[in-house]
Amino acid sequence: MDTSPPSRRAVLRWGAGTAAALTAGPALTACGQSVGAARTTRQETTRRGEKVELVFWTWVPMQKTVDLWNRTHPGIHVEMQTIPANVQGGYQKMHSSLTAGNPPDLAQVEYHELPAFMLVNGLTNLSEYGADELRDSYVPWQWQQGVFDGRVYTIPQASGPMGLFHRRDLFEKWGIETPATWADYERAARVVKARGDGARMCAFAPNQPNWFAAMCWQRGARWVRTEDDTWLVDMDDDLSREVAEYWERMIRDDLVFVEPDISSAWYKHIQSGKIAAWVGPQWGDALLRGNAPGTAGKWRVARLPQWEAGQHVSANWGGSSTAILQGTRHPREALQFAHWINTDRRAVDLNVAAGYGWPAAAGIFRGSALDKPDPFFGGQRYNDVFTASDRAIDTSWKWSPTTDADFAQLQDAFGAAIAEGGSLAGALAEIQKRTVDNLRAKGLKARSAR
Amino acid sequence: MSTETTRTTTSAPGSRRSARPDRAAWGFLLPFVALFLLTFVLPLGYAVYQSLLTPVRSGPLGLGPATLGFAGLDNYALALEQSAFLESFARVLLFGLVQIPVMLLLSTTLALALDTLSHRWAGILRAAYFLPYGIPGVIASILWGFLYVPGVSPIVDLLGKAGLAPDFLGYGNVLWSIANIVIWEFAGYNMLVIVAQLKAIPQELYEAARIDGASAWQTAVRIKLPLARPALVLTGVFSIIGTLQLFVEPLVIKPLTSAVTSSYTPNLSAYNEAFANNNIYLAAAESVILALAASVLSFGFLSLVNRKERRDAR
Amino acid sequence: MSVSTPRAEKPVASPHAPGAAARRRDGRPRRGVKPSRILLVALLTVAALYFLLPVYWLLVASTKSSADLFGTFGLWFSDPQWPHNLSNVFSYDDGVFWSWTWNSVLYAGVGGTLATLLAGAAGYALAVYRFRGREAVFKAVLAGVLLPSTALALPMYLLFSKVGLANTYWAVLIPSMVSPFGVYLCRIYAEAAVPTEMLEAARVDGAGEWRIFGTLVLRTMTPALVTVFLFQFVGIWNNYFLPLVMLSDDRKYPITLGLTTWQTAADRTPELYQLTVGGAFVSVLPLAAAMLVLQRYWRSGLTQGSVKG
Repeated sequence: MDTSPPSRRAVLRWGAGTAAALTAGPALTACGQSVGAARTTRQETTRRGEKVELVFWTWVPMQKTVDLWNRTHPGIHVEMQTIPANVQGGYQKMHSSLTAGNPPDLAQVEYHELPAFMLVNGLTNLSEYGADELRDSYVPWQWQQGVFDGRVYTIPQASGPMGLFHRRDLFEKWGIETPATWADYERAARVVKARGDGARMCAFAPNQPNWFAAMCWQRGARWVRTEDDTWLVDMDDDLSREVAEYWERMIRDDLVFVEPDISSAWYKHIQSGKIAAWVGPQWGDALLRGNAPGTAGKWRVARLPQWEAGQHVSANWGGSSTAILQGTRHPREALQFAHWINTDRRAVDLNVAAGYGWPAAAGIFRGSALDKPDPFFGGQRYNDVFTASDRAIDTSWKWSPTTDADFAQLQDAFGAAIAEGGSLAGALAEIQKRTVDNLRAKGLKARSAR
Repeated sequence: MSTETTRTTTSAPGSRRSARPDRAAWGFLLPFVALFLLTFVLPLGYAVYQSLLTPVRSGPLGLGPATLGFAGLDNYALALEQSAFLESFARVLLFGLVQIPVMLLLSTTLALALDTLSHRWAGILRAAYFLPYGIPGVIASILWGFLYVPGVSPIVDLLGKAGLAPDFLGYGNVLWSIANIVIWEFAGYNMLVIVAQLKAIPQELYEAARIDGASAWQTAVRIKLPLARPALVLTGVFSIIGTLQLFVEPLVIKPLTSAVTSSYTPNLSAYNEAFANNNIYLAAAESVILALAASVLSFGFLSLVNRKERRDAR
Repeated sequence: MSVSTPRAEKPVASPHAPGAAARRRDGRPRRGVKPSRILLVALLTVAALYFLLPVYWLLVASTKSSADLFGTFGLWFSDPQWPHNLSNVFSYDDGVFWSWTWNSVLYAGVGGTLATLLAGAAGYALAVYRFRGREAVFKAVLAGVLLPSTALALPMYLLFSKVGLANTYWAVLIPSMVSPFGVYLCRIYAEAAVPTEMLEAARVDGAGEWRIFGTLVLRTMTPALVTVFLFQFVGIWNNYFLPLVMLSDDRKYPITLGLTTWQTAADRTPELYQLTVGGAFVSVLPLAAAMLVLQRYWRSGLTQGSVKG
């Protein structure tokens, strides 16, 4: 199904910020109506004393933060509307509203979803409204997630730098040292199996493609890159395969439970001490605290195990931004709000209380609600670990514009591989092929990198 | 639902349809027809139209402005090329072949059994069976989800203590676990339809059978069952439609197990194409294929039943 | 068709009045308890357990804290804190659950009522008048019964957006007002139940068509209309997909959509597990009660649809 237009100029390097063509303007080709956003952003002037109304779609419970804004900013009123989370309906609503020409001014968009929105011209180019000046307020790798071709398209909000949540008490009971490398981790897992009376080190969750992507990200894989105007998909590379084989071995030797995580079955294992560790994101603290209050004081957080001893390479799981959708009539006010909600100290503290994740704002950590010893983690200042983790994340990782579909297929393929005794590494080739198909089905040029 | 039958069974043909001009009839029909056009015909037409389109990309990496181009039947070809989409049809067919007969058997058995019980108990039990119909599919699936997950489910707990280790969410089983949810939701409703049919049977027939010395069992099988047939046809048609539309239950169960894939049923596939992949054009094609399949199957089933009926009547 | 007899009987006074049937039942000679009967009762009891078990689980679960939900045996109470849980359900997020409940009642009540009236009028017209396009309309209605409604929701959203109806109460109400199955049922019922003589007599008296419909016909068709209403009410109450697509403002959500929003957010906010379970329990109550009270209406009307097979 090759429907390439007459003028597909092959110029750009993805995200590198070289040339300028993304905003070539809505130059419609001869046939048909345009795809994607039915309305483009335009700043409307407001009369003096007129109140600006903004609509904000999110699934993060940030109503209190929004209330604070409305109290302190009488000229701009933000109405927060709770929508279903991400692929559970949230993004579809955003896409539909863009197509229909009645989008909200602001919306919660995860980092890995941004390219998909770029594909439908769904985000406002914030560089036109002075967003570049805000750059220094944010952690660089998170800021970079919203930069396409040198232009800023979103305001980063939060991320999920990863660490190793583990049960100090159980580790001590079984004589396990906190693993520094993945090899240590595997050895420790064997000890848990031998001494743990039915317990396991952790669970492998086939339902969590985001987690697996993070593991490959840490190993140094880069699943997507671009060459001229073609998307190169590189999921079946040696590094990702190494990660897949590692977990395959853990599954085969029965060192881990195989079950969906962040699910009721998994919580049950956490509560009953059958799971000793979780390679999880910073925002996982609230999950443990809320779902396993009986284990309070027994948890600690350590650095992510490393592939090579002595290094500190980290990974990220999850993360989202406050995007200003294409079609708003108040981009300046929306940008003002997006920046405030993600950097204002009181706002961030309220967001933290709502469990929104790890702040993308730079330098906000000291003295924030996060910066204190926590009794649930035995008095450990556990967020220090995540501060270091956040700095050790490689910034060059890119997402494909079809990430959701790719992830759905990764999940399906891993599930099938485990059920049928196939190999995870073997499934990667299939997933890579499917990802290329997904990109092509969108009318994009794509091929396998190898 | 043949319209021929409708006409022939109507009493006093001709006379009642004469009096007033078409104007009054259309007056009564207008509000419904207008809304029907708005909510059925128009969207369907729009879906068909969209299924013939595809985005044409431009600019570097295709991230530039895109336009809509005419794709012919490309989207249909693409949908039918995907093995996962075809498999989803095979899956719901298998599901229907097992689930519908099991459910109708259960409904019929319960209806016939209730018919022999004393009035008060029958009422209470009937209410108990019918109760799940009032529980939305989403909530029913959340409930059963809790009852399927090992460690949380008391059922799995108890069976585990009895030495069984059922894996309700495993690859081979999850389809039947979903079937169980559907049966739970609708068996009582279908039972009620059959009960209603049984109530409409003239009591002399039963009296006559009893005088002839027929046992309760014989009465049930020889007299009641054949007379309940129209109700079974109705519930059968609705079950077929429901099966093809299977959506909410796998959607809710999906996060609990990787055995439920993103294209587990045709509807889920179309939904994911639209929701996860934002490819509404391909999703439209899948929806149209699904609508066609539903019509063909339901009408096919009906004409099969009607033909058999006519043959029997001869 | 064999069943045409009982159906035709319906509108006419049946020789088997309820009293007669009851007498027969009560007067049934007592027999000794036979093994087959024990088997029968056992079967019915097991079935009742099967249908009630999840509801019982829900009742128990709604009294538990989030931790106990996962940590204790599911079929028995543990440290019940019902008032606390339920007040949480109603107070969370400024009492958004109240809005959802009210919306569900509004969508299902208003949508169901209007759908019933429209279906009644349309079914009556199709049954009583002979006019051009009658069969075409009826065939279209039948096709409407068979169409998967999920296939229509997305294109409908785009259409509604164009006229500014998306994310309004109308976006859910308008599609809810259309019940092809209701029209089908009403037509069949009206054919059997509305006597021609009655219409003729009314016309001779000089009554207009609308007046006849408003006074005589609606009354005669009441059993069918009640059934259509219940059918549509439950259908709208249980609907999930349409509001999911149409609504973005959570204050306009019905209960089904609201609860799933909580459920999906429970990943990050564990207390929502408890709220989801508690909310599910509360939402099941009114409909369960309605089911029990209104059972007989379901039965009286349902036969009409089935006889046509």
